[in-house]
Amino acid sequence: MIAAAWIALFAPAAAVLAIALADMRITRFQAGVIASGATFVSFAASVTTFVLLLGDDPEERSHSSTLWTWLSAGDFRAGMEIVVDPLSVFMMLVVSGVGFLILAYAVGYMHGDEEERRYHAYKALFVFSMLLLVQSGNLLLLLAGWGMVGLSSYLLINFWHFRHSAVAAGKKAFVMNAVGDATFALALFLLIQSVGALDFQTVFARAPEVFDESGPAATLIALGLLGGAVAKSAQVPLHTWLPDAMEGPTPVSALIHAATMVTAGVYLIARTSPLFELAPAIHDLAGVLGAVTLLLAGLIALVQTDIKRVIAYSTMSQIGYMFVGVGLGAYGAGLFHLMTHAFFKALLFMAAGIVIHALADEQDIRRMGGLARELPFTYRAFIVGSLALAAIPPFAGFFSKDAVLASAANAGTLGWILWGAGAVGAFLTALYTFRLLFIVFWGEPHPSPVKREHGEAALSMLWPVGVLAVLATIGGFLQVPGAWNALDDWLHPVAESIEEASGGTAVFSAVAALLLSLAGIAIAWTVWGRPSDLPERARRRWPWAARTLERKFYFDEAYDLAFYEPSDRAASLAARYVEEPVFLRSLGGLGRGVREVSARVAAAQTGLVRSYALALATGLAVLAIVFLVVE
Amino acid sequence: MSGPGIAAYLILSVLLFTTGALGVLIRRSPLIVLLALELMLNGANLALIAFARQLGDGDGQIFALAVMVVAASEAVVGLGLIVAVSRKRVDLDVDKLTSLRG
Amino acid sequence: MEEVLVWAVWVVAASALLGSGLAVVLFANPFYSALALIGNLASLAVLYLILEAEFVAAAQVLVYAGAVVVMFLFVIAYLGGRADAPWAGGPTLQSLAAIVAAGAIAVEIVVVIALRADDSIATSAEIEGAFGTPAEIGRLFLGNHLLAFEVTSIVLLVAAVGGVVLGSAPKPERRGSER
Repeated sequence: MIAAAWIALFAPAAAVLAIALADMRITRFQAGVIASGATFVSFAASVTTFVLLLGDDPEERSHSSTLWTWLSAGDFRAGMEIVVDPLSVFMMLVVSGVGFLILAYAVGYMHGDEEERRYHAYKALFVFSMLLLVQSGNLLLLLAGWGMVGLSSYLLINFWHFRHSAVAAGKKAFVMNAVGDATFALALFLLIQSVGALDFQTVFARAPEVFDESGPAATLIALGLLGGAVAKSAQVPLHTWLPDAMEGPTPVSALIHAATMVTAGVYLIARTSPLFELAPAIHDLAGVLGAVTLLLAGLIALVQTDIKRVIAYSTMSQIGYMFVGVGLGAYGAGLFHLMTHAFFKALLFMAAGIVIHALADEQDIRRMGGLARELPFTYRAFIVGSLALAAIPPFAGFFSKDAVLASAANAGTLGWILWGAGAVGAFLTALYTFRLLFIVFWGEPHPSPVKREHGEAALSMLWPVGVLAVLATIGGFLQVPGAWNALDDWLHPVAESIEEASGGTAVFSAVAALLLSLAGIAIAWTVWGRPSDLPERARRRWPWAARTLERKFYFDEAYDLAFYEPSDRAASLAARYVEEPVFLRSLGGLGRGVREVSARVAAAQTGLVRSYALALATGLAVLAIVFLVVE
Repeated sequence: MSGPGIAAYLILSVLLFTTGALGVLIRRSPLIVLLALELMLNGANLALIAFARQLGDGDGQIFALAVMVVAASEAVVGLGLIVAVSRKRVDLDVDKLTSLRG
Repeated sequence: MEEVLVWAVWVVAASALLGSGLAVVLFANPFYSALALIGNLASLAVLYLILEAEFVAAAQVLVYAGAVVVMFLFVIAYLGGRADAPWAGGPTLQSLAAIVAAGAIAVEIVVVIALRADDSIATSAEIEGAFGTPAEIGRLFLGNHLLAFEVTSIVLLVAAVGGVVLGSAPKPERRGSER
């Protein structure tokens, strides 16, 4: 079992090395095969680990294995250790499973790109980093995986490095993630100082003894961890990088910015739940931030015109749901939604990728329309994905979103507030999702001519979409609130989930959410499903609302003002008043000064014998006095 | 013989020495400078001989003879320099012999 | 009686010494300065005699007055002995500073001597009769100070060679070569 876990971790790393070393000796297609093949090996190994773990008693399902001691300073040890327990195996399955499908899709999508090998190598690097993140047995290694995931994201966002916007987006993503990394690291410093170790067993066992509940230390640590999670998962306020990250190729968006990397924050909160339980204020804050993001992103998605950006804001919004879940202590529900979201969001992205490919890289939905006839398979896949996203039964999203909402309903006052946000969010989700579907696939095709060389899409792109569609349909039955809680039970030893509401409350919650979703679909149909000028009239009636949404609530502008402008100003001031006069000119001044001094000194070299002799005589006179006085 | 004590000789020596020093510092003709230099050396010699007598040690006289040898050699070389300089049609003025200025 | 005589001779010699010294320094004509030097050397020889250094006195007259000063006079004659006017233009900063410095040195040392002029240095040692004779000098030179003796001979050699080199006619200058 342990061996399988290690194989799962290192298979993608081996792929990266292989592709890098083979360089031009392998074809582009072969590079893609190596990368996706390695991910499949990883998936197979994860399944093996899972099956073997099932054989263990539920209370015994936690094994760790250390390859070597990585860091050793005083009493502090951090090893290259992985942990095999329900939570990590769950994440391994999601990451490697969905990852494999997306990597296989990417072979078709990136076909013909100039630097395709580099792409597949980076993709494999990402899978390795993500697996390292979810499998690591101590927080230091987790941080290492965290950072590497951020690196892979950066490398893949500006994969098309000749595009200025892509480079800028990559930098933005990396810098914002760095803020989260910094708070994360600070939390780790505090942990080391108070607990003296970073491996999960030690930390979680000793945390209740070392920290007072709601004490300053516990709060700071939880806050630091939350900061990292918020940055990585693109929640308010560190969310502005995610829409820009759509500059990367679509499979990148599918894998990193939908299914896996952005969910790392959710995983982190679930994994370090004992620490969050010791700081309830921060725990609640996580839920609140999730709710805020959920609503904000949903509203912004209503006015986006880039197909990928709509889906990106949707991702942001759904992760908000997950944060609500884990923020309230409903770890099972939150992670369940993580899994189903991976299915249907990757599906939606990949379908969007097919659309983009078919329209020769057109991404503006105002130039799309009527594609249902041209791309039937994609259209049907998109419907499945949208229904799952809008939480319509029997599709997966219904069960997972319902799980979150049911848990919220059972979590006191704050829980009901978050429930309210989630319900409104459900309405918004359905609204923008079906808006997208109606605009892109219904109606008349856009007049501008687009070339269509092949059929709908290459087979390599279609079959992963199909698999995900199936999963989005049936995946929900893993956990049916009120009936069975397979996932909650599975995760029980690692993260104790709170009880869901039962009976009347549960039914009420489910029905209310469902009605809101249906209402959203209906309104979307009236506004965008038929030819209508309602959007235009709404924009004219409330221009400021339209503007605020279009400017994404002015977050970018605010950050620009708060951080970029001052830094820029400070830098130019420093350049003008410090660097130039002090450093650049001073060097010249130094040289000039030395020359002037030596010129003065050289004046003593008169060449006149008499002046030298006078100097001698004067010196003698002075010395004589000195000796006399000293004697 | 007797005569004044060593203090008197020493004072004489000092006065002779400073007279020579004054000459070196003030005069511009290199010939006079060399002559003044000889004065200084002689002043030193006088002190040496006086101490030799006072201590009863002949070493002082040996030292004085050596000083005389050196003074003679230095006079030779100095005069040779002056002759060579004059051949270059340069004024014999130490204030004008400044090729070694920095 | 003898004491008085010695003192008288001493006073005369000392005055001649100082006077000729000043003359060397103050005369404008180098010829006169050289002649004053002879007077200086002669009075110095007298003082040496009073100090029982006969050989040194003789050497002084022979070497210094007889050779060195003669050489000076030769060169002065060869060069025309141009008189420079050291007092033209009034006292310069250099000359004032020089007077101050030299004066300071003189005053300092005299003060020291006066301070130390107690009995310990006033009394002279007893000497044998051979003190200051050529035999004694020769014994010292070839005995304790043989190295000094040899080195001085080398110094003389170097000086002679230097004198010849410096005094010889310069080689005809080569025309600028085409490089």
